[in-house]
Amino acid sequence: MENWPHWLVLVVMAPLVGAAVVPALSLRNRALAPWIALAVMSVTSLAALMLLVRVAREGLFSYVPGGWEVPYGIELRFDEFSAVIGIICLIGWLAVLFSVRYVEHMPNVVPDRIPYYYALLLLNMGGMIGFSVTGDLFNFFIFLEILSLSGYALVAISGERIAEMAAFKYLLMGAISSLSVLFAVGFIYGMTGTLNMADAASRLAGLDGSPAAPAVALGLMTVGFMVKAAIFPLHVWLPDAHAIAPSPVSAVLSGLVVKVGIIGVIRVQQIYQDSGVVDLAILNQLFVWLGAISIVVGAFFAIFQEDIKLMLAYSTISNIGYIVMGLGLASTYGVIGGSVHVFNHALIKAALFFAAGALIYRTGYRTLTDLRGVGKSMPLTCAALSIGAISIVGIPPTAGFLCKWYIALGAFEADQPFFGFALIFGALFIFIYYIRMVNAFYFLPPVRSEVVDAKEAPLSMLIPTLSLAALCLIMGLAGRIPLSFIEPAVMRLLNGAGG
Amino acid sequence: MMSVLPLMAVLLPMVGAVAAVRLQRISSRVRAIGLGAICSVTAVLSLSLLPGVLRGTVYELHILQMTPEIWLYMRVDALGALFGATVACLWLLGLVYSDGYMKHGHRQGRYYAFFMLCLAWTMGVAYSGNLLTFLIFYELFSVLTYPLIVHEETPEAIAAGTKYIVYILLGGSLVLLGVVLTFFVAGAQTLSAVPLLDAGMDHSWLLLIFWCFLAGFGVKAALVPLHGWVPDAHPAAPAPFSAVLSGVMVAAGSFGIMRVVYQVFGVELLALLNVMPYMAAIAGFTVFFAAVLAVNQDNLKRRLAYSTISQMAYVTLGIALLTAEATSGAIIHITNHAFMKGALFLCAGLLITRAGIRNVSEMRGIAKRMPITMAAFALATLGMIGTPPLSGFVSKWYLGQGILQADQPLYLIVLLGGALLAAIYLLPIVYAAYFLEPPAVEQSGADTDDPDAAEAPLGMLIPTVIASGLTIVLGLTATLPGMPLSLAAKAVEQFFR
Repeated sequence: MENWPHWLVLVVMAPLVGAAVVPALSLRNRALAPWIALAVMSVTSLAALMLLVRVAREGLFSYVPGGWEVPYGIELRFDEFSAVIGIICLIGWLAVLFSVRYVEHMPNVVPDRIPYYYALLLLNMGGMIGFSVTGDLFNFFIFLEILSLSGYALVAISGERIAEMAAFKYLLMGAISSLSVLFAVGFIYGMTGTLNMADAASRLAGLDGSPAAPAVALGLMTVGFMVKAAIFPLHVWLPDAHAIAPSPVSAVLSGLVVKVGIIGVIRVQQIYQDSGVVDLAILNQLFVWLGAISIVVGAFFAIFQEDIKLMLAYSTISNIGYIVMGLGLASTYGVIGGSVHVFNHALIKAALFFAAGALIYRTGYRTLTDLRGVGKSMPLTCAALSIGAISIVGIPPTAGFLCKWYIALGAFEADQPFFGFALIFGALFIFIYYIRMVNAFYFLPPVRSEVVDAKEAPLSMLIPTLSLAALCLIMGLAGRIPLSFIEPAVMRLLNGAGG
Repeated sequence: MMSVLPLMAVLLPMVGAVAAVRLQRISSRVRAIGLGAICSVTAVLSLSLLPGVLRGTVYELHILQMTPEIWLYMRVDALGALFGATVACLWLLGLVYSDGYMKHGHRQGRYYAFFMLCLAWTMGVAYSGNLLTFLIFYELFSVLTYPLIVHEETPEAIAAGTKYIVYILLGGSLVLLGVVLTFFVAGAQTLSAVPLLDAGMDHSWLLLIFWCFLAGFGVKAALVPLHGWVPDAHPAAPAPFSAVLSGVMVAAGSFGIMRVVYQVFGVELLALLNVMPYMAAIAGFTVFFAAVLAVNQDNLKRRLAYSTISQMAYVTLGIALLTAEATSGAIIHITNHAFMKGALFLCAGLLITRAGIRNVSEMRGIAKRMPITMAAFALATLGMIGTPPLSGFVSKWYLGQGILQADQPLYLIVLLGGALLAAIYLLPIVYAAYFLEPPAVEQSGADTDDPDAAEAPLGMLIPTVIASGLTIVLGLTATLPGMPLSLAAKAVEQFFR
């Protein structure tokens, strides 16, 4: 069943078509909107599951819509890194479920517009999935724009006080990033005359003359994706946007959308690694340093945040730092660690944002002081939050530990032990703010009566939160599965034997 | 031999932890019986491993493949079996005692859940068969101790908890670094009689690994200057938890050092690297430094905490000497100290709940009102000082033998000086309790009970007396097979070949 070739096109088209269909079908009865969106996500998830099974069995495969052969047609390519769509579908599905109750309570929400919220969410999913599976540079850009534009709108939709400003800041940085990616695509097309990634890689290799032009394209592309991934110093848009967005959207943005930047970086590396036209060592060393700085900067700012969502947003910067450092180390363990953390951080951060969203939904407060004592009134949500916290700090045997273990090993393997030390002790900073959170929730005297009297979150919020928290534990103990899954792709990336 | 018993000893308390909250909702009595049964079975399981281990059987179990390279793997050798049995037995005493101590406390469900969870993880530490498994359990129990330390939720408790968690995470990170480096240098291997590292490896890496491990475990084993969390965490925690904290949790650090010294490095390699003199010096300094500080403490639990720092440094000293006798002494001192210090902390808890006494200066004449408590206290005190034929004497005898065997007689001064200081900081308490007149009744502070009937109910008294009585039992039967000494001999036989 998994060999049906059209799953790959279905997985991209389903959410995009769904985005158009949801508002249309729920014109009469807008209560239908979340359930249609959920059905669309279910279909997408099924397709993603089939693709995952297939890639695990046979490795990389591709699809050419309409039978137009490469390099003339548009290619969809599915490799192990594309498996990130599994996580995208899982978290997307749960985010839609979580939104059912959440969006109705957002400030300034216009009930008639709610179906558009789901449309935007589906559009965002479709953009991310398309981005992860495309083999074509121009489509790469198109999908990047789809997911970015829907992202700006989803931040603005929250109706919080500074939502428009946060969204505008996000849009401004995002526009620069998209522009530089577009330039880079133009450069590559100009040099090679092709937009297919694999084809471009092989033609770049045969290019005569100075490597300056390919290097400029590489630089532009990298900067573009670094903005999307919020790597220091291009992270400034992230905290406000992620903290202000509605919580299910925060989970999607923080867990998934920033990872798109990482996938972009990996794709670019695949192209250039294969062509060998530019030496990637300098770029990698830059990544390692920026990753280390991101870890420290993110953690440092997180310590001083009172708002839990802002704290989680800064922690995302820190964790992206881990991933980039792992990729930049360019040693087997390091890249494996970084790639697996792409998956694991998505799970952990989504669990944390869902739990934070449930707290905000029930109590109406979002700062540590206001939320004191909430551990007693909402025990399950707070337990999920604690598991997420333990996991993101990297206490073994949770999912976050694997990344620390592998990237530290990778640093020693790459003969840069300093970064191994930096990584392990950087994680300590991160723990400080989660200790503050645990203290506030469980051990400090409450200050707000609404918090003490709050009810446990509704089932539609508990299910996503708890299942992701459980996955934080399971993915650590069963770390073998993602690790051995991603290994062939990492080996191909490092040995430059075809993306 | 493959066996699921070690895994059961970890899983049972975990089940207990989950059940604790539910059972507490039904009634305290159901919870007490349920958890008591689970904890007893765990203790019996841990004891049932001893005869096999004595015969030379190694119980092992591959649980789950966590990463492509590394299994979660349990392996029970003599050292681990002894530590596991000590942990389970002391925990059982602490649990029985908790029932009385926490009767009027808040959030009992949470307390018991974490109490059982910590038992599970500590058993895991004792029975882990490779470094990653060790690390997992070690980190889990370090971090999940936090809710127990801040259980009282007073500002002091939260401050102590914060101090604890910062120290422990720093230490945990160093241990993690050591484990990663060991894995990088030597690959994933089991902790067996054959050391993981050998002299053919780069010596700068080896030294880095050693100091990472020593500093990391040194935080938990409370080696000066890494001891800062101990004196604050102990007075803040509930008394039964102080007892296990001091008795076996601090010892888990020493246990980690043993694993590293004997099974990661091996005796010969360490002799070659010539790092043990430094470790011995640190340990010797700790013995004196903490004992001197203990003399000055008025808060009883704080004084006992400093005593723990001083006594656990004996273990580190014994390890650092790298002789067979000293190693035996170090291994049995973990067990002996666990019950002696457990008894002292349980007594301190009784003094707090029954007479409202937290400070040494308030203890004059208390023996008249609490004769059994103070008898237990006095007995454990004598054991701590090392009076023959009590258990503390046996461990110190072997440590002394080891010092002579290592031909470093200077450390005999440390050994005897530490014992002398223990007498100075503990005996005046006993003296005051028995021979000084109690303060006038109207000054007796928070105590509103009948002054003649301060003795605790049996539920709390029995574990205290048992812990204290074990001082005699472990001392008198020290040479019998199955007792700590025989297991230590078995372990030494594996480590010194």
